[in-house]
Amino acid sequence: MNFLGYLITGQFVAFFILALIVIASAILMLNFNKVMYMALAIGGVFVGVAGIFFLLNAEFIGIAQVLIYAGAITILMLFAIMLTHEKDGESNSKGWIHETASFVFVAILLAGLMYGIRTSTINWSPASDEPSAWPVGQNVEAVAASLFQTYTIPFEVVSVLLIVALVGAVVLARKEE
Amino acid sequence: MWNNVLHWVDQPFTSATYLGMLLGGVLTLAITLGAVTYTIYGERKIIGWMQGRVGPNRVGPFGLMQSIADILKLLIKEDIVPAKADKALFMIAPIITYVPAFAVLAVIPYTFHHYFTARLNIGVLYYIALSSISIIGIVLGGWASNNKYAIIGGLRSAAQMISYEIPLALSMLGVVLLSGSLDITRIIEVQQQNGLWNVFPQILGFIVFLIAATAELARAPFDLPEAESELVSGYFTEYSGFRFAFYMLSEYVYLIAMAGLAAALFLGGWTGPFGLGWGWFWYAIKSFLFIFLMFWLRATMPRARVDQLMGFAWKYLIPLAILNLLISAVEKLYWLKG
Repeated sequence: MNFLGYLITGQFVAFFILALIVIASAILMLNFNKVMYMALAIGGVFVGVAGIFFLLNAEFIGIAQVLIYAGAITILMLFAIMLTHEKDGESNSKGWIHETASFVFVAILLAGLMYGIRTSTINWSPASDEPSAWPVGQNVEAVAASLFQTYTIPFEVVSVLLIVALVGAVVLARKEE
Repeated sequence: MWNNVLHWVDQPFTSATYLGMLLGGVLTLAITLGAVTYTIYGERKIIGWMQGRVGPNRVGPFGLMQSIADILKLLIKEDIVPAKADKALFMIAPIITYVPAFAVLAVIPYTFHHYFTARLNIGVLYYIALSSISIIGIVLGGWASNNKYAIIGGLRSAAQMISYEIPLALSMLGVVLLSGSLDITRIIEVQQQNGLWNVFPQILGFIVFLIAATAELARAPFDLPEAESELVSGYFTEYSGFRFAFYMLSEYVYLIAMAGLAAALFLGGWTGPFGLGWGWFWYAIKSFLFIFLMFWLRATMPRARVDQLMGFAWKYLIPLAILNLLISAVEKLYWLKG
């Protein structure tokens, strides 16, 4: 099935659905008044981005995105919102001048971007047949090799840094007692 | 035509590939719903048998239609939203819980031929990552109900599931290390090649997995999120009708998915004794063993206390899981070189 010269595959349809999810969640996140809804909407953005990683054959990064951002960080935000005092429903309408001005600015930006993309002379070749450094279906192994063989020492140093940050946070939090 | 239906992902989008997608989804959903219906019936019958009762026996022969009648009743009930609840979140929270529960079934390899399931090279991680999204729906449901029992249940549930996810993932890591792959199908193939199920070299990991999985599924003795005697019924106290059915459904779908995972990771998946065929049959038996164990525990164990729960995960299960990882590394070096 062809549509405007593009071959419609399952991946093509999936890309547009995922892009719609990401954009719609991002816009909803900016427009909600309740913090709880915002946290949920940003969860939607994380899940959509993870889906796009999957389409790009970067399964490991996609699943790490779901595990860390969509799972852990969203729940952390929900907890933080629940346990702190919540001020609901402060409306933030800025008046018609502000809204018109932002609309015009966004329209100009979009037109500029479209012009730049359409007249660009860079050759965006679709998919090359050259073997990539990250072979499809084995990118977990590729990630592991670079983490534990090529960059072992930076990886260990970063993990020490993270532990120091964690302990530091605990010490700072306990100082009040 | 059949090639397009069965392998739809990379094909141009035609009516055949669309039919494949639709068939896969609908078939998996239908099989899951049927399995859940009779898991609930089986649970009531088995627990009744263990406690010297009869169990459901009125609707249909041997009470076989009991669960179907219950589900029908839930579906035609009025959809009640409490007046002080956060309406939008209250309505979508059960959906957020159910969608990942159904999505994790995509990587459970019920048969050797992957017709409607995915051979994903990160299958184990996919299961862990998606099941953590369900917690969002549970917390939001508890919060949106605007009810003290619901919010306590939701918070307990989140704390418990996040804590027990760590020993669960660590216990699977031993299996991943032995097989050298995160792909569930590959893990089964390695067990087939070695002629040895992972339960034997991974017995400590299997025990940690069973305990952490029980807690992750919030089943007795770790059913604190919905402890009837203290929290009414936890995070879904305010729910009724089909939204309540969604929460129950996702709980049982996770039970089935976890049983599938246990069978694949530790019990050799579709491989049967004497090289007999019928992969799905052996898979069903192994999954049923896990499910039966869960029923057995529920019928016999008292509920753990809430203050013991977190300490147990962090002080005992996680060190044990790390020890198991060490043992797996030694085994990989000197015994199962694979």
